[in-house]
Amino acid sequence: MAQVRGWRKVLTVLAFISPTLIGILIFSIYPILFNTYISFTNRNQFHPNPDCAVGLTGLLEPTCWAVFKKHAVTGLGTPFRLQTPLFGNYASLMGTFFTAPALLSVLKVAVCFIPLIVAGFINRRYSRELERPISAGTVNLIAVILGAIIFFGLSGLSAFNSILASSDFFTVFLRTILFVVVCIPLFFIFGMGLALLLNVKDLPGKTFFRVVLIVPWAASNVSIMMSLVFRFFFSETGTLNQLLHILNVQPVIFLNSSLWTFFIIVLANVWYSYPFFMVTILGALQSIPAELYEAAEVDGANWGQKLTRITMPLLRPAVVPLIVLSAIGAGGFQMFGTAWAINQGGPSQGAGVPGGTDLVMTYAYKQVFQTNAYGRMGAFAVIIFIMLFIATIASLRVSRVTKGAYE
Amino acid sequence: MNRKTKTLAKVFQVIVAILATIFALYPVWFVILASGRPGARLLTLDLPSMFLPTTWSFENYQIMLFKQPFLTWVKNSLFVASMTTISCMLVATSAAFAFSRMRFYGRQIGLVLFLAIQSFPGVLSLVPIAQLLTAMGLYRNLWGLVMAYVSGTLVFTTMILKGYFDTIPIDLEEAAMIDGCGPVQSFVLIALPLARPALASTALFAFMGGWGEFVLASVLVPAPDTSKTAMVALYQIANSLSVPWGQFAAGAVLIIIPILIIFLYLQRYLEGGLTLGGVKG
Repeated sequence: MAQVRGWRKVLTVLAFISPTLIGILIFSIYPILFNTYISFTNRNQFHPNPDCAVGLTGLLEPTCWAVFKKHAVTGLGTPFRLQTPLFGNYASLMGTFFTAPALLSVLKVAVCFIPLIVAGFINRRYSRELERPISAGTVNLIAVILGAIIFFGLSGLSAFNSILASSDFFTVFLRTILFVVVCIPLFFIFGMGLALLLNVKDLPGKTFFRVVLIVPWAASNVSIMMSLVFRFFFSETGTLNQLLHILNVQPVIFLNSSLWTFFIIVLANVWYSYPFFMVTILGALQSIPAELYEAAEVDGANWGQKLTRITMPLLRPAVVPLIVLSAIGAGGFQMFGTAWAINQGGPSQGAGVPGGTDLVMTYAYKQVFQTNAYGRMGAFAVIIFIMLFIATIASLRVSRVTKGAYE
Repeated sequence: MNRKTKTLAKVFQVIVAILATIFALYPVWFVILASGRPGARLLTLDLPSMFLPTTWSFENYQIMLFKQPFLTWVKNSLFVASMTTISCMLVATSAAFAFSRMRFYGRQIGLVLFLAIQSFPGVLSLVPIAQLLTAMGLYRNLWGLVMAYVSGTLVFTTMILKGYFDTIPIDLEEAAMIDGCGPVQSFVLIALPLARPALASTALFAFMGGWGEFVLASVLVPAPDTSKTAMVALYQIANSLSVPWGQFAAGAVLIIIPILIIFLYLQRYLEGGLTLGGVKG
């Protein structure tokens, strides 16, 4: 837009982006500000009401604004105020994490990862050289073994358990990380395997398989329905138990076991997510020039060598953003719908304790809608947001979506 | 490779493909089967009827369609999804165009901030949004839901469209500008018609997002029965102990099958939209 200058340019740009800007201000930035403010107050079921005389409450609470005053609802209980100490909610979320024994446990667990980091450095150092003194796989294997030795030497399991016990937050957070770590490789393995299969030139019925295998992706648009189907399949009177009954096996109450429930959530999640991986990897596979494979065949490369030396490196630019985006997206860290529909974060582990498969989002949801702990939830939201914010900024560097037409 | 290993490899490939097909299709097939069984018979199954429709009745469908306000729920869902799509397209295209074509102070950082702010999870902003809508008198109102959805899909839509605008050669607009075309004209007359494929696929994404969303809908419009969306209503049916599960299955089939057909029919289009939108590497 070269010829528009000065205030006219400002006006044009504003006219173009202001609708989006207003939408984002109201429904994205306002919730963040509000949550941050609430996280410093003692708002909960005993103090639900705003006190409009307090400066910031009057400013941020919509029912305090003159325009909306007529819709104000007053519940029972006293108004909420800022907490003393100010960071009380954060402290209660962190529990005993910042005490000496818990931090020592963190240190112990962190030490176990040192061999892996060193292995990464060694592999990067030699990655460009043809003659390597030791292969990358061996280095990684040694690192894993060393890490395991250190882990058991320092009694890492008990250290890990004491981190988990330090607060509900870490139980839920580490479980979510575990969920992501389990899910993403499965997405990749399923997606990659089926993409390789569909990329075979003379596979009979290829078009049929290609259409049928993306049905889960289509169904993921109504994921809540399909998750309920999965729940029924595994429920106490569900299909699997009837099958077991026919085979004269005692029924298993899958949804009463945390491990089984976790497995079911992972299964449902893989079912939804592998087609997206499959389709993207298939697209990338088809863009790899065939000459490379022909040249490799002339040099006598076998199937495995072609896969690891040609296909994998060339898939990297397509797969890395995919993995990063899924890891921080709704199929990974922000998993809510499927987990909620399958067992609502349960089985219950007792009152006031996160359920057996509570992930970050289901835990937050329960905090708000079952225990009305708004203040605590606000602190939780702020911590999670800071993590996701950093992860998103980092992922933008990988996926490069912000470049304009001119760059 | 000799011929024997080649045949073996082919057989292996086909077996894997068939297993994957069963894995992909069985849950959908299962819900279709369940929808054809009248209430009580659901729990007394024999082995073949778990995989094949040995008995079939339309009783569940009749109950869902005529005794339950199912059509009202579908109408609500359709209303919300289409309003979301329309408003989203109206708002997002202009912003996408500006971000792709105009150079202004804070463009790059603005984009990054948009995306990063969007990373605030929807579940965690439920309380402020519900409060805001209550204050505006839009709680338990489908328009409030539309507003929440539009703002939720706004950034994603803007990003995809911006990615597509980036791929349209700027020369056309520059030529038009030399002929005296202003930014609004070059947007409406040149960029928009060229971006039609991307507009279609983004609209589809927005529509499907609004059609299948559950969390916001369950919090913002939990009642009354006549203004619930189909997702919320069916979720409540599936969780109630008094309604047979077969009825839920019938409702779910009526919701899922159209979406499956639309999605599979327009699938290449959707893929194209996604990859063109710069979500690729």
